[in-house]
Amino acid sequence: MNDARTLTLDSTPNLTVLFARAAATSIGRGGPLQDVQVRHPRTWIRLGELAAYDKVCGFALRDTLPATYLHVLVFPLQATLMADRRFPLGMPGLVHVHNRIVQHRPVDAGEPLTLRSSARALRPHEKGAQIDLVGEVRVGHELVWEGVSTYLSRGASVPGEMAPAQHVAVDLGPDAPANAVWDVPGDMGRRYAAVSGDVDPMHLSSLTARAFGFPGALVQGMWTKAHALAAIEARLPDAYVVDVDFSEPLLLPSIVNFFVAQQDLGWDFAVRPAEGAGDHLRGTVRAL
Amino acid sequence: MAGSTSAPRSAVVVGGNRIPFARANGPYLHASNQDMFTAALDGLVARFGLSGQGVGEVAAGAVVKHSRDFNLIRESVLGSRLSPTTPAYGVQQACGTGLEATILVANKIALGQIDCGIAGGVDSASDAPIAVGEDLREKLLAANRAKATLDRIKALRGLRPSHLVPEIPRNSEPRTGLTMGEHQAITTAEWQIDRTAQDELAAASHHNLAAAYDRGFFDDLVTPYLQVARDQNLRPDTSVAKLARLKPVFGKGDGATMTAGNSTPLTDGASVVLLGSQQWADEHGLPALARFVDAETAAVDYVNGGEGLLMAPVFAVVPLLARQGLSLQDFDYYEIHEAFASTVLVTLAAWESEEFCVERLGLDAPLGAIDRNKVNVNGSSLAAGHPFGATGGRIVASLAKQLSQKGSGRGLISICAAGGQGVVAILEAI
Repeated sequence: MNDARTLTLDSTPNLTVLFARAAATSIGRGGPLQDVQVRHPRTWIRLGELAAYDKVCGFALRDTLPATYLHVLVFPLQATLMADRRFPLGMPGLVHVHNRIVQHRPVDAGEPLTLRSSARALRPHEKGAQIDLVGEVRVGHELVWEGVSTYLSRGASVPGEMAPAQHVAVDLGPDAPANAVWDVPGDMGRRYAAVSGDVDPMHLSSLTARAFGFPGALVQGMWTKAHALAAIEARLPDAYVVDVDFSEPLLLPSIVNFFVAQQDLGWDFAVRPAEGAGDHLRGTVRAL
Repeated sequence: MAGSTSAPRSAVVVGGNRIPFARANGPYLHASNQDMFTAALDGLVARFGLSGQGVGEVAAGAVVKHSRDFNLIRESVLGSRLSPTTPAYGVQQACGTGLEATILVANKIALGQIDCGIAGGVDSASDAPIAVGEDLREKLLAANRAKATLDRIKALRGLRPSHLVPEIPRNSEPRTGLTMGEHQAITTAEWQIDRTAQDELAAASHHNLAAAYDRGFFDDLVTPYLQVARDQNLRPDTSVAKLARLKPVFGKGDGATMTAGNSTPLTDGASVVLLGSQQWADEHGLPALARFVDAETAAVDYVNGGEGLLMAPVFAVVPLLARQGLSLQDFDYYEIHEAFASTVLVTLAAWESEEFCVERLGLDAPLGAIDRNKVNVNGSSLAAGHPFGATGGRIVASLAKQLSQKGSGRGLISICAAGGQGVVAILEAI
């Protein structure tokens, strides 16, 4: 690692601009991962934005933030990193395949937050290359939240040893009926984009999604994760880690089944198609 | 699980919780009834260590609610830290909702059907349901019934642009078309309640509520919500002189006395009260603030009977006092809901009026005057605001704490409600 640098933001960057810049500069990306960090001190929650996010994802409007909402706050920092020319992978077509969030304690909407994001562990994968975008949220010096978003760049080639594949394993019992049926409307990608800023074109319309090789628009994985977490919101411990794999894309509109089962230290859950095979999402919550 | 005795036992008030009340279209603009009621429940759960535990039932309600919220209270329970095995149901008696819900829970405890329960209410004037007009609704239903496309089109024929104007809920009586304020203006004029007396009562409400906050009285009764820590309507520095400058908003002509200052504003908020048998409280190491003694609900014919819309509590106390063998003066605290300052003043005047007590209440003598220093000692709805369903829970919890702090005595609650109804109740110290 060399050329350590910290980009300090004094306001939330415009994600549409970042996505456009990342797309325009995606050709010719490569080289080693550089030690760049993005920092956004003194972030405050806007209650109207939180309320809109809660409504789209299914959370109750509380003073404590959904763990996935902090991902939404950190995401523009990730996008800033990815749009930076030094980032080794082209952003368009990057697929979010795994997400881990550690909530060390509930975070209050009134607390001033310092957000940080950096990239690590650029590694070869059987389908291309993977990289982890890590985020952290602090209140003063106290670490309250950590996130790891693993992205896959199909077809990319990077040197190094292929890491063993890791999958989230869930125990939902054999042939258990679904706990809930979700009717996910066709505009859910646009609705989530409006409250999260994740305006990746593959979520916005069938036309823009086809440009990326998908048969139609797909919902953001972090909406699926948030909606799953909202389903067990009242039963979550104060401190926990929630891991999910995003497997098959969830095409819009869709009717999908939600499965959840209590475990010794938390919950296992999955989002599966109403018909056919292939999980959209598998996840675990474990108390810390 | 409930007690085996057949003789009624008393329910005790263990404690309460509410979110600060906020003016409509203010800080709770984005909060639904379910959000606010869940927040009030979770605050209560945290305060009394009930996380993951069940209670006998949760009975509560909202006056103005969306049709999708048919199971509002049960849905709130499922989103709260209470055990998902807690039953719940909705209650709606306009502004009497919270107190009526408390009566229901207290009665089940008294009968030994449950050992503990939560009563309360919630209302959002910001997140109000909007309905389509009746013409459009009928056409849409007809189109929905139609099986063929052509029949659907036929069903929608004749739609006019005017049919698309939505119906926004109004604070008015369906049978008279008058708002509650307009009704009360008639009553206020009838009883010749003057403007200054109303403004004095309003100022006292603000000053008493502010003093109670400063004393820490609400520290274990209120949990902040969405960064609001105190009732947002509270104006500690208001005065009779400031209130006197406001223009009347209800009533007509020179005789109009009711202003935005001496009437409650539209408010958002939620409140809950935890009740149990004395034994249940003891077994769980929880306090018993006051005993829920008795209650009465009355209604008046405000439509054609010539009675004031908000006069029912005046009637309700008569059988309540008789049943308990008490006089109106046998109380240490009176909590008279301040729908309007004049509601409180008319209530007091009616109890003092020989003519009214004899002719309308059928008594031999007036119920008499009460010590004004015992009325709404920690402020009431004029200062705190009045989210319709949440006022009963606010008053029950506050009065129970007042009685607990005093260590003796009893208190009378009087709440008027739309539809010409009134709910009254007695609490006593333990």
